[in-house]
Amino acid sequence: MKNVRVFYRKFGSCKYISHLDTNRVMLRAIGKSGLNIWRTEGFNQHAYITFALPLSLGFGSECESMDFRVLDDNEDLSAIPDRLNSCLPEGIRVFRCAESVHKPAAIDSAKYAVSLEPMTEGEISFEELKQKLTAFVDLPEIIVQKKTKKGMKDVDLKPYILSFEIREGEKAAFDLTLPAGSTLNINPNLLINAFADSIGIELYADITRVGIFTKDGEDFA
Amino acid sequence: MYPAKVEKLLLKVQKPGRYVGGELGEVIKDKREVDVRFAFCFPDTYEIGMSHLGIKILYSLFNEKPYIWCERVFAPWIDMEEEMRAHDIPLWALESGDPLSDFDFIGFTLQYELSYSNILNMLELGNIPLLSKDRHDLKHIVVAGGPCACNPEPITDFIDIFFLGDGEEVDLEVMELYRECKKDGKSREEFLRLASQIKGVYVPSLYDVSYHDDGTIESVTPRDNAPAVIEKRVMMNMDESYYPDNFVVPNIEIVHDRAVQEIFRGCIRGCRFCQAGFLYRPVREKSVECISEQCHALCRNTGYDEVSLSSLSSSDYTQVVPLLRELNSWAKPENVSLSLPSLRVDGFSDDILNEIKTVRKSGLTFAPEAGSQRLRNAINKNVFEDELMNTCRVAFEGGYTTVKLYFMIGLPTETMDDVAQIPLLGKKVLDTFYSTPNRPKGKSPRVTVSASSFVPKPFTPFQWEPQDTMDLLREKQQHIKQTMIDNHISPGKMSYNYHDSDTSYLEAVFARGDRRLNAVMLEAHKRGIRFDGWNDCFSLQNWLEAFEACGIDPAFYANRRRSFDEVLPWDHLDYGVTKEFLRRECERAYSSEASPNCREKCLGCGCTKYKGGVCYEKR
Repeated sequence: MKNVRVFYRKFGSCKYISHLDTNRVMLRAIGKSGLNIWRTEGFNQHAYITFALPLSLGFGSECESMDFRVLDDNEDLSAIPDRLNSCLPEGIRVFRCAESVHKPAAIDSAKYAVSLEPMTEGEISFEELKQKLTAFVDLPEIIVQKKTKKGMKDVDLKPYILSFEIREGEKAAFDLTLPAGSTLNINPNLLINAFADSIGIELYADITRVGIFTKDGEDFA
Repeated sequence: MYPAKVEKLLLKVQKPGRYVGGELGEVIKDKREVDVRFAFCFPDTYEIGMSHLGIKILYSLFNEKPYIWCERVFAPWIDMEEEMRAHDIPLWALESGDPLSDFDFIGFTLQYELSYSNILNMLELGNIPLLSKDRHDLKHIVVAGGPCACNPEPITDFIDIFFLGDGEEVDLEVMELYRECKKDGKSREEFLRLASQIKGVYVPSLYDVSYHDDGTIESVTPRDNAPAVIEKRVMMNMDESYYPDNFVVPNIEIVHDRAVQEIFRGCIRGCRFCQAGFLYRPVREKSVECISEQCHALCRNTGYDEVSLSSLSSSDYTQVVPLLRELNSWAKPENVSLSLPSLRVDGFSDDILNEIKTVRKSGLTFAPEAGSQRLRNAINKNVFEDELMNTCRVAFEGGYTTVKLYFMIGLPTETMDDVAQIPLLGKKVLDTFYSTPNRPKGKSPRVTVSASSFVPKPFTPFQWEPQDTMDLLREKQQHIKQTMIDNHISPGKMSYNYHDSDTSYLEAVFARGDRRLNAVMLEAHKRGIRFDGWNDCFSLQNWLEAFEACGIDPAFYANRRRSFDEVLPWDHLDYGVTKEFLRRECERAYSSEASPNCREKCLGCGCTKYKGGVCYEKR
């Protein structure tokens, strides 16, 4: 039995598959592919898959991963991406499969590529949007309300912005790195919504997760 | 696919996965290379529509033809509808993302009367003129089929063509005709006239209806050589009938998220309240080999690990146990579980239980339909109390503790005493639990009693009957509650659910309505009415105002007793069962007399004319 991690991209219409539904889609794909994976042995037996870091509804991703155990030690891992891809919707593409290196708990941060535009076309120029965004991120503190288990809490996002970089080009696009993982996870929408509120303009954000990193800054693998 | 403008709106609505397509199994073609584009519209949400078997059969059937591209369209939920209207985005099809107005055919499935309002709303959202008479040129042909097409009169102003009966052949014949007409440059009118000559096709605009002073129908007169009586289509050989080996597999969870395998069409029983039992006659079975093969392919292609065997009454399949064994020969090793819905009380056996038993013991559901034996005889639900108790005992011994019982109130000939028998029957099931020695220990039983309100339907022996008034139905609901209290039935062990009688009332009006209801449909649409099947949207008050505005009394349709010789709005449609037979059955109901089922004795319903199925089985 081998612990295996597959990496996949999620885009297009598949951005709108929730985490729970992604689980179902993957189980069906594994079933259809005929891949022999470990099943739970309890009362309600089922194929066992886990996801290291859930992805919010509506986000695209270049770096999702799913873990399972293959029963056959001689299973050809390099063939698994193709086998799964032929059983998955277009918007989910597996590009790599290998034995897992890190534990899911090793995840420390994630990088997002964000592209902003006003919900109503032309309400604000991309140039102005970029200027205001840079100024906003430069503020000494960015207090937002975050939903926690104990209710709403004021949180300063500023120390959590691990990196912020405007992308070259005409659009209001930027890269943003935030804490991620099971202990502390900051959703980029917290910052984007706070920014939209501060300028009083309804914004649409196209968000793609482009990297997941461990504490040492290594790619999660 | 979805229009680019939609992207920004998707995260503002609930369940955006409903609107984006891109599922495994969807069929994408090059629109320049097809002659006919068909928008298959389900007038309800994605989760409901994608659970429907008919759409899956026809979707695959159409798309197997290289010249047709069939796409799916569902009713947007109210939050998305609001965004679409605000941003001027017309209703689109999920495969191409193209608006409804790009299609040659706009086809609706008529599953329940309460979805009619969504049809009008979808046409409007798709920028298709609502009224047939306002649609010109040979495009935007609005067609409809499904069970409610057996009395389509309330929506004849909006639909150009109705398909009666099984759609597998007739739909294709009409599309082939359309393709030729388009090539020959024929007009819309010519096409419709030619289509009316195809068996199973009803073109309502070719019929004039006249009325008596009392509001009943005087006559229905065909024009332009249209047939005086339109016959339904029937697929007689189910093994050779088309069945898809793949489904579009939704990415989001839907109501019935599993593979579905049809095992037979029709029902031998002839329960007098049940429209499906008469519309789909005669019973036509698929062979065990055919079912197993189709079902296996379906599971492999979709990746589903659960398959539901579909029919009107699974345990009436002649080879049910051999079938389950055959299916399990591959299903068990492949970790596929079987479910067998629509089990009759008298068809439940240890053998069946063993084959469908899964680790998850969900409850069992039975439908005695009426509380007293007298009333069960009157409605021809040939189920006896001791059978129910035996069945429950088998279930309890098998480890089940939850039993759901479905009933109807408002059945013809029903008395308050019959009504009181409903909770008392539930109580007897509880008693059976405690008297079963091998019952699950340490668990308490749970019986759920549900009562819905009876709606008289066309092509049933009760098609002439009045529906109980809403006041009387409410009184009966209260009577059940009171009987529970009087008999000290613990609400912890037995719960009682009932459906709101308001929706049943509207259903009753449209089920047996005539063409004058078209005006009410249009008025209701103008008042923003849609999603009547959903409690969060339905308002009977709004409907009553629409009736009032049109000067039409809904009680005329719902609560009036028709005489046996009245011309009924659907008399020019032929579903095989004769009016004489239905009348005989109705009269037997009045004397609380049950009738034998098709396998016991032929009652001469009229369906022997199809020359096959159960009518010609060896007895």
